[in-house]
Amino acid sequence: MIGYVAGDSPLHRAHPYTPLAWAGALLLVAFAVSTPAAIGSVVLAAVATAAVGRVVPSVMRPALLLALPTWGLLLVLHGVLGPDPRVALGPLSLSQPGLARALVLGGRITAILFAFLTVLATVSPPRLVEAMTARGVPFGRIYLLVSTLTLVPRMRSRAALILEAQQCRGLRLGGSPPARLRALGPLVLPLVLGALAEVDEQVLALDARGVTSGARRTPLAPPPDRAGERALRWVLGLLVVAAYAAKFAGHGL
Amino acid sequence: MKPIVRLRGGSFTYPGAPAPALHGLDLELRRGEVTAVTGPIGAGATTLLLVAAGFAPRLTGGTLAGERESLAVRPGIVFATPWTQLTGLCHTVRAEVAFGPASHGRPREQVLAVADRVMGQAQVDHLADRDPHTLSGGELQRVIIASALALEPDLLVLDDPAAELDPAAADALYALLREVAEAGAAVLVATPDVERAARVATRALRLEQGRVVKDGPPSEVLA
Amino acid sequence: MSAVAAAAGFPVRWEGVRFGYTGDDVLHDVSLAIGAGESVALVGPNGAGKTTLTRMLMGLVRPRVGRASVGDWDAATQRPHVMARRVGYAFQHADQQLFARTVADDVAFGPQRLGIGTDQVSAVLQELGLSDVAGRHPYDLPAPLRKLVSLAGVFAMRPGVLVLDEPTTGFDRDLRARVVGALRRRTEAGATIIAISHDLAFVRAVAAREVVLEQGRVVADRRVVG
Repeated sequence: MIGYVAGDSPLHRAHPYTPLAWAGALLLVAFAVSTPAAIGSVVLAAVATAAVGRVVPSVMRPALLLALPTWGLLLVLHGVLGPDPRVALGPLSLSQPGLARALVLGGRITAILFAFLTVLATVSPPRLVEAMTARGVPFGRIYLLVSTLTLVPRMRSRAALILEAQQCRGLRLGGSPPARLRALGPLVLPLVLGALAEVDEQVLALDARGVTSGARRTPLAPPPDRAGERALRWVLGLLVVAAYAAKFAGHGL
Repeated sequence: MKPIVRLRGGSFTYPGAPAPALHGLDLELRRGEVTAVTGPIGAGATTLLLVAAGFAPRLTGGTLAGERESLAVRPGIVFATPWTQLTGLCHTVRAEVAFGPASHGRPREQVLAVADRVMGQAQVDHLADRDPHTLSGGELQRVIIASALALEPDLLVLDDPAAELDPAAADALYALLREVAEAGAAVLVATPDVERAARVATRALRLEQGRVVKDGPPSEVLA
Repeated sequence: MSAVAAAAGFPVRWEGVRFGYTGDDVLHDVSLAIGAGESVALVGPNGAGKTTLTRMLMGLVRPRVGRASVGDWDAATQRPHVMARRVGYAFQHADQQLFARTVADDVAFGPQRLGIGTDQVSAVLQELGLSDVAGRHPYDLPAPLRKLVSLAGVFAMRPGVLVLDEPTTGFDRDLRARVVGALRRRTEAGATIIAISHDLAFVRAVAAREVVLEQGRVVADRRVVG
């Protein structure tokens, strides 16, 4: 499931900037390392983060569903079609450097997916809004970020309603690939058209509630930002700098 | 009493539209009055609300001809469909209702005090800690109305506000509109519910094809 | 051609139904029988369980205990697209389903899916006063007309049972009269009608019987005083 999952884990209770910083650092370090062993550690760190957030069951399925096709493509492109020397894996003859490259690229995508899906699952959007408001971030930027983060759950609940309505008009789900393709129109079009039709009213409603007033918004329940978490975010930043410094100095992992 | 909004010879055309949605509009809105607007579908009632509150053409685009004067009006708006008016950024009803005054940078204690007061007025105080996304359409609409009231608007415009409400809640809503007017705001409500509007309106307009064809006491216009 | 093809109604029955979305039940041991060709209004405050009760007839929700049936079909054992052959369900919010390029195409969608032909479409559009907008895109229409289009789509499926969830929300007298007329003709043709509505004028015009739900229980079942 993609989207926030209510809970009481350390990640849920943390200041929203901390899991975001952690995911950002993981992403940057994933691009700084270039060996299968190192990227494996990054993936493990990402999965461990999901475990700390107690969201592994929620995150695992969408992460693997999104990652597996990419793994397949990478193994074919680099593993099968890559340069010599080759290594035999059962009936397959795979390129050794190609396999290493596929593992690194696939590992990066897997780590990033786990990290960001964990953030989506553990950072409550309203709490993030309050944290950003307390920091004086302009409302437009807050709205853009949070709307993007909540897009999938919102569309999913709307899509469920549309699915019901069309089934009640006799639309049969499943069947042959052409039948499934034909079913997309009645499912996707109302999703998009309905969302667009609501935008005008939403703009008016938000404007009427003062989002364009120019005043600095009052945070009502800003999440506490403990010294330890601020220090952790600094350490993460330094870790990223160290990883890239090592990479450019030729000592990269 | 000087009107807070005055329109003279007003006409409004949406961008790209072949003809004006409103024309020949003369309208004055005063504090303490509840003005009901009625008319067939497409007559221009919603457009009239948007023009009166200053949302058109500022947010809709289009052209407003004629004169529009307003005295630094702080508008509140309520549409018929509550879920499109949720900010999507609040996980409690209290936060949703407090959103407006918080956006104006008012002090936290004031914001929460206003929110509690209007939640009571709109009879949603028992829902204060609920997630707005779990409410029924009727409950949500009352939350949206509270959210508009939290801004302490000079002019409250409403487009069929009781569409989602059961009869008892609809009666309470229209009674609330009268209270809001008596507290000093001007209220403009477009509605097909002429029976309820007639009970609380001090004035009524009937629109047809973008033009006001009747303007007078509710007993005459809404009969 | 008349808009109303003969649509033999089915009896509808809920027997000892209990249901809850999470944790607490929203329907408590509800039993209700509606005869074929009857016209019944389901009324009660928001959150009483009216919509949940009717969703059972499409198999959209299944009772935890008890049974909901349309004729001899147990709704819990059928998929919604199958129940659509007997029950025309008009959702409260029209925008959930409109997608076609024109009003006429959208109204034809249901009959096409059911394989019953689209000869009804223009008659239904005329009946509801939508002929003038038949070639327009549904989203170019104001919200009340979009809702009317969604109702037309359900009528065109010629169901034996019509379930309508707040069919007149946002309607003025004229639109309400069109819907009332259409439903009366279908009652005369023998269809079973179940309408959830806060609109007392509509209830009086359409229903012969009124069932009141409060907090998931039937608290009254009486004739409508016209």
